[in-house]
Amino acid sequence: MSVLEVENLEVYYETEEGPVQAVDDVSFSLEEGENLGIVGESGCGKTTLAKAIIGILPDAGYVNRGQIRFDGDDLTEMTDAQRRRLKWEEISMIAQSAMNSLDPVYTIREQITEAIEAHRPGTGRVESTEIVTEMFELVGLDPDRADDYPHQFSGGMRQRAMIAMALALEPSLVLADEPTTALDVIMQDQILKRVNRIQEEINSSMLVITHDVSVVAETCDRVLVMYAGKVAEEGPVEEIFNQPYHPYTIGLKRAFPNIRMPDQDLLSIRGYPPELVDPPEGCRFAERCPMATNRCYEEEPEAHHINGLRSYCHYADKIDEELRPRADDAETWKQTEAARAQTQTQQPGMGDD
Amino acid sequence: MGKASFVIRRILQLGVTFWAVGTVLFFMFRLMPGDPTSFIISPQMTPEAREQVIASYGLDEPLYVQYVKFLQNALTLDFGQSFQAKAPVQEVIMTYLPNTLVLMLTAFAIAYFFGITLGVLSGWYRGSRFERSTVITALVARSVPSFWVGLMVLWVFGAGFGVIPMSGMSGLGSDTQSFWQMVFSVDFLRHLAAPALVLAYYFMGYPLLIMRSSMLEVLSEDFVDVCRAKGLKERTIMFRHAARNALLPIVTAAAIALGYAVGGSVLIETVFAWPGIGREMVRAVLRRDFPVAQGTFMVLAATIIILNFVADLVYGYLDPRVTYD
Repeated sequence: MSVLEVENLEVYYETEEGPVQAVDDVSFSLEEGENLGIVGESGCGKTTLAKAIIGILPDAGYVNRGQIRFDGDDLTEMTDAQRRRLKWEEISMIAQSAMNSLDPVYTIREQITEAIEAHRPGTGRVESTEIVTEMFELVGLDPDRADDYPHQFSGGMRQRAMIAMALALEPSLVLADEPTTALDVIMQDQILKRVNRIQEEINSSMLVITHDVSVVAETCDRVLVMYAGKVAEEGPVEEIFNQPYHPYTIGLKRAFPNIRMPDQDLLSIRGYPPELVDPPEGCRFAERCPMATNRCYEEEPEAHHINGLRSYCHYADKIDEELRPRADDAETWKQTEAARAQTQTQQPGMGDD
Repeated sequence: MGKASFVIRRILQLGVTFWAVGTVLFFMFRLMPGDPTSFIISPQMTPEAREQVIASYGLDEPLYVQYVKFLQNALTLDFGQSFQAKAPVQEVIMTYLPNTLVLMLTAFAIAYFFGITLGVLSGWYRGSRFERSTVITALVARSVPSFWVGLMVLWVFGAGFGVIPMSGMSGLGSDTQSFWQMVFSVDFLRHLAAPALVLAYYFMGYPLLIMRSSMLEVLSEDFVDVCRAKGLKERTIMFRHAARNALLPIVTAAAIALGYAVGGSVLIETVFAWPGIGREMVRAVLRRDFPVAQGTFMVLAATIIILNFVADLVYGYLDPRVTYD
């Protein structure tokens, strides 16, 4: 059964220029014990999506339409008190930049105990001490250091303390927002492995939000690629990374170093994502897409199901013969509207700097 | 390095600061124009009698001898004899200082209690009408001179409605044995209310604005999101986490402000004819009463210096990140 089903979700931010459509018509589901990665560049709406699911959108943000069903119940219909009961007990999070995610003026133990007490009032000191000790051992921290303040911990330790806190109540869903961005690769690897192990133990699902494709590859079963507030493509990790069916995913893949082809030049996708106050009609990636046609600028793409993937590209079934053979060529990525616009604005300025 | 050695080092610094303040005070009054003896010596005196009076205050000795004596005596909190009151300066200070402290501490407690609370709320409810009105109130409170507000209050409530006494600390015929008995008498509280509230209104703007901006800063930090995700109650997040963190800059600000409050008591004490140390200091300066002026200045400076020291210690307790290296 699905732990989480997000359906046609729209999350907007109120601004002076009008609502920013940060998440637009996003649908996906997450099965029990499954890990789903959400990737995309900064500002694509992935963090907003996570905040909407756990229910901590800032004041200006609101769910405009759609459903977030957790265990079958729609979270958007719930009262604040009902949602508060689900938080951390059922849905917890490992925050973005976990370095600053702990309150500096309380000890780690106080902060974990606070979460336990908030949801299970009457839990005795003995029992919460047991939980803290157990969680500290699980994440590989010395339980004797639980009475330290966050600043007495190193970055990696703080991250692990954050994870210990996130998993202390054995939630069925964990949202990990850039869980390891602040850490070095070795620490990252250690921590991800540990999280996966604990997760299997308590059988929780996880939503991993990141711009780091390697994190997804290591931890997730499926991936959802977001672009400018919308789903670009979704499917099993293997398929998405081996044979994607959306030009954005293909471009993204080429923008990451490939360990098997060390000599390969990295290609960037020219241009920037569109403004989401007044998003363009049609496909949002059109301007930066080497395959774009008039249809792409006019008509919003529907989901195409190919090879177990869900791709929102009009020409998903033509990717194999059209784009894939040319994708490794830098010239291909210069044939976009955005690239042309960039070279045009650059020319008069040349020699100035 | 540990906390103990930090405290010791800080105490040594205190000593140096006090010496510097004392030195400045001593020479400042000697460099001031005007002869102090003109007030205590009448023209009818014979030259011998005049010299005798001057010698009795030690004013005939060379300046450096006076200076060393001044410092020696200051160590024992002895600031000499008042030229005017013919009494030890210590006694003068002890008569007026408690009056100032009662007024200032009352006003300060009211101001910081309401200022901090309103600051927390206005930071939390950013963009609301409540926030706008508290910020405007705070700015008005900070910009309107307290003596003017004091005069208006006296005019409207004292002269107009007659609900508050016009001056002083106690009414005619009030008869109390001890200081504390006086402080807790209804008559005294009636006198205290107006100046204390006027001052509290004036002081309140500062903690309110600092607390509000400090709250805004804290609320943008990631741990607040985590607190919300933990499913804590809104009030718990607001006070236990956000306000607790936002309070840190207030502590230093408050300690320093309290020092200035005691020091800056002159205006309000004058308006309400409150027999405090600020008013006494001004009178001493006008009469060239060096010892009293030095003594009262020293007390006000000491208040600021010591409260700074206290702020440092309290800060270390409130913020576990503070190290003593």
